[in-house]
Amino acid sequence: MKEILKLGGILMLITAIAGGALSMVNSITKPKIELQKRLALERALLKALPTADSDAIIPVETNGQKYYKGYESPDTTGLVGYAFVAKGKGYSSEIETMVGIDTTGAITGTSILHQVETPGLGTKIEEVTYGEEKPWFQQQFMDRTWEELKLDKDGGDINSITGATISSRAVTSSIREGLKELENELGGFNN
Amino acid sequence: MSLFKEFFKGFYDENPVFRLALGLCPALAVSNSVQNAVGMGAAATFVLLCSNFIVSLIRKGVPKKIRIPIYIVVIATFVTIVDLAMAGFAPDLHKSLGIFVPLIVVNCVILGRAEAFAGKNNVLYSLFDGLGMGIGFTLALTVVGVVRELLGDGKLWGIPIMGANFEPVLLFILPPGAFLTLGLFLGLFNWIDSRMKK
Repeated sequence: MKEILKLGGILMLITAIAGGALSMVNSITKPKIELQKRLALERALLKALPTADSDAIIPVETNGQKYYKGYESPDTTGLVGYAFVAKGKGYSSEIETMVGIDTTGAITGTSILHQVETPGLGTKIEEVTYGEEKPWFQQQFMDRTWEELKLDKDGGDINSITGATISSRAVTSSIREGLKELENELGGFNN
Repeated sequence: MSLFKEFFKGFYDENPVFRLALGLCPALAVSNSVQNAVGMGAAATFVLLCSNFIVSLIRKGVPKKIRIPIYIVVIATFVTIVDLAMAGFAPDLHKSLGIFVPLIVVNCVILGRAEAFAGKNNVLYSLFDGLGMGIGFTLALTVVGVVRELLGDGKLWGIPIMGANFEPVLLFILPPGAFLTLGLFLGLFNWIDSRMKK
């Protein structure tokens, strides 16, 4: 009995010291991590809505749907488009894509926020080929409306990535579905 | 026993991956690119160094019966520090290593060194042992990573070097490629070893 108490006490002491040390580290890194997250989101929003002002992209939440409205000047006048996060089940992770559209519903930019796909295959949804500036797979979505978002394997004309059909399909159809929902939410785009 | 020997044994004679066959899970999983391999190796080396230091420092006060839970707490603490620091300062690396950073806790190289070396030797020797083993682990991952990234993706450190006509052998960046590459290296080192004995 006495031994159990002694061993338990030692273990408790060690874990208490470890816990204390971790809370100290956490207090240093927490603001850094939050800053990195915010920066990543801001970068993605600007890629999705390149014509919007960086201070005039405003989050909107209605009926459980979350999206962003982008304006061209900082005083929130001149609506240039909308952005939202599309989520789709990929091969080994949930792929989250930031998608931006103009007021007619045509895609102005995309950016992958999160993916843990197979390196060298599924990760090619973010691959930038040598000498290019933007990922070739996502460039295919530019200026398209949701009706035109279909993989070649599903009868559309978006080229899928060799060896990564599931990842390609996850991105394409999640954007397609997300855009459809957003169109319903907004009551249609001004075509 | 010399410091020199404790430091260099991890490079070849007791290389954790190729000679002791320890820590194979991360060696297989994150050796698909050189960048991942080096990042993983650096993170594991840091944890190994810190855990060897603390374990050898407290080795006389640790009751034998609960040494393993204590080692695990020490290791888990440093892994969490690495995880948090990486998320805050190197978000891209953190993103690509993903789940394998927290999994350093159960990397048997680290617990293995705590149990086999740091729990029995003084602080200085343990530091050299940890650093040497960590570098050995990093080297092993990098060697496997170079082969896999080069053959499977035609790149090194993310830079295409095989030319446009090179058709990458996708198998090498997929799990079977990890087993093949690692197995061939293990065989190679065993072969060298048996030749040297003759």
